[in-house]
Amino acid sequence: MKGFYCSQIFTRTLFPILFPITCLAAVFLTGCSTSTIIDEYKVTDTHLDLHQGEQVVIMGRRHAGEYETEPDFINCIGGRLANGGQLNVMPEQEFLDSFYPWFEPRVAPLKLKRMSRMLEDPMIAERIKSLGIRYMVWVDGNTETTDKSGTFSCAVGPGGGGCFGFASWDKASIYEAIVWDLKQLDEKGRVKVETKGSSYMLAVGAPIPFIAQVQSDACEGIGNRLKGFFLEGAPAESTTPASVPKRDSERMLDHRGMIKS
Amino acid sequence: MKKTCFITVRIIVALVPLLLAACSTNVVVSGDYPSALTKPLPYHVGLVLNNSFTQYTFKSEEEQDVTMALGQSQSKLFDRVFTDIFANKSRLQTVTKQTATTPNPIDLMIVPSVEEVQLAMPFETRLNVFEVWIKYNVQVFNGDGEPIADWLMSAYGKTQTRFLKSEEAALNQATTSALRDAGVRLIVGFKHIPEIRDWIEHQQKEQQQKNKVMAQNGDPS
Repeated sequence: MKGFYCSQIFTRTLFPILFPITCLAAVFLTGCSTSTIIDEYKVTDTHLDLHQGEQVVIMGRRHAGEYETEPDFINCIGGRLANGGQLNVMPEQEFLDSFYPWFEPRVAPLKLKRMSRMLEDPMIAERIKSLGIRYMVWVDGNTETTDKSGTFSCAVGPGGGGCFGFASWDKASIYEAIVWDLKQLDEKGRVKVETKGSSYMLAVGAPIPFIAQVQSDACEGIGNRLKGFFLEGAPAESTTPASVPKRDSERMLDHRGMIKS
Repeated sequence: MKKTCFITVRIIVALVPLLLAACSTNVVVSGDYPSALTKPLPYHVGLVLNNSFTQYTFKSEEEQDVTMALGQSQSKLFDRVFTDIFANKSRLQTVTKQTATTPNPIDLMIVPSVEEVQLAMPFETRLNVFEVWIKYNVQVFNGDGEPIADWLMSAYGKTQTRFLKSEEAALNQATTSALRDAGVRLIVGFKHIPEIRDWIEHQQKEQQQKNKVMAQNGDPS
């Protein structure tokens, strides 16, 4: 009798509340996933040499007026590439300060030819050598909001406050990384990543955000591929066919970074 | 009743300046500028930073009150840059003619001044960035105190985003970035100003002639 009473409470009272909430959560959680396309080009399938005392620097392009590659994104890639100390990665700001003013947006080399001319200056060449900078990775691109819709409003009164409404927005990250070898003065490869995702904000009393991690997925994608240039057994190796040169290796990642394929 | 009214008026009087201050943006620009990686020119330069430069404050009353004290920070930058691009640097009060008896005479004297500052804030541009333009006039005098160049130089800086930053922090970042850009222009561009290039060539020729004469006279130095 008691069991029958409990099940009646569940079906009549709790179920009508819990079911739509569960459905909405399921819809939003699948909705705020991201999709990532990675295009990679390597000059050779052997790993890039990085001897003891040599390091890599990752730099963001900031010469364009309408956008600039976010410093946080560069730090994120640097963190992924460092991989707990497996690779020596010089922080971008430290590099910029050490070589001031030669890599500031106004005068930074856009092409390898200009970089090689820069290295003819004995002061710059000596500093590169003393710091052991072997590879320079230039990252160009940004993350932007491509679409916005919906609206929600919040109000506060003497008895309390709350929000009501629904809003959604789409974000897209497009980045390209180019690897320069400063010893041989040539390009070692490129990685292009395109990540898209939709985020939602549902407000019934309290606002409940469902945020798609677009930029961090792009960082994960580009960072893992770059790691594959330098380290054996890095994710890029396991997901791309070992052909030389490689191109158009596409994988889809969901918001947890799992490969959807 | 009278006492309550008096207290209320006093509270309002105390709150008005606070509310007005809350609507304006006050920034004291502070930034660190790295040493330049450059070969110094073999001359002695005198840097004249007058009060209007060292205590320069930009004020804007268009739509939103903005006060930005950038004098100290730009003085720090110019001091740093001219220390790095010349073999010797001294701070001078004014442009003074160097006499033959002056010990360690100064070859060039630099007097920078701010011509113009422009701001672009998100409420004006609808973009999530703060932008700063600074236009300098760098006057250059030779050791005799005669003007040889008048260089108008502009610098630009911006912040990436306004999110998670106060207006003050964002303006400070954009201005520091503009000052860093001014440093780039000074380090890379100063010796390429036509008048300065001519002056350097003239000095080099004079030095070569002196060396030739000394070599002819058998002076080993």
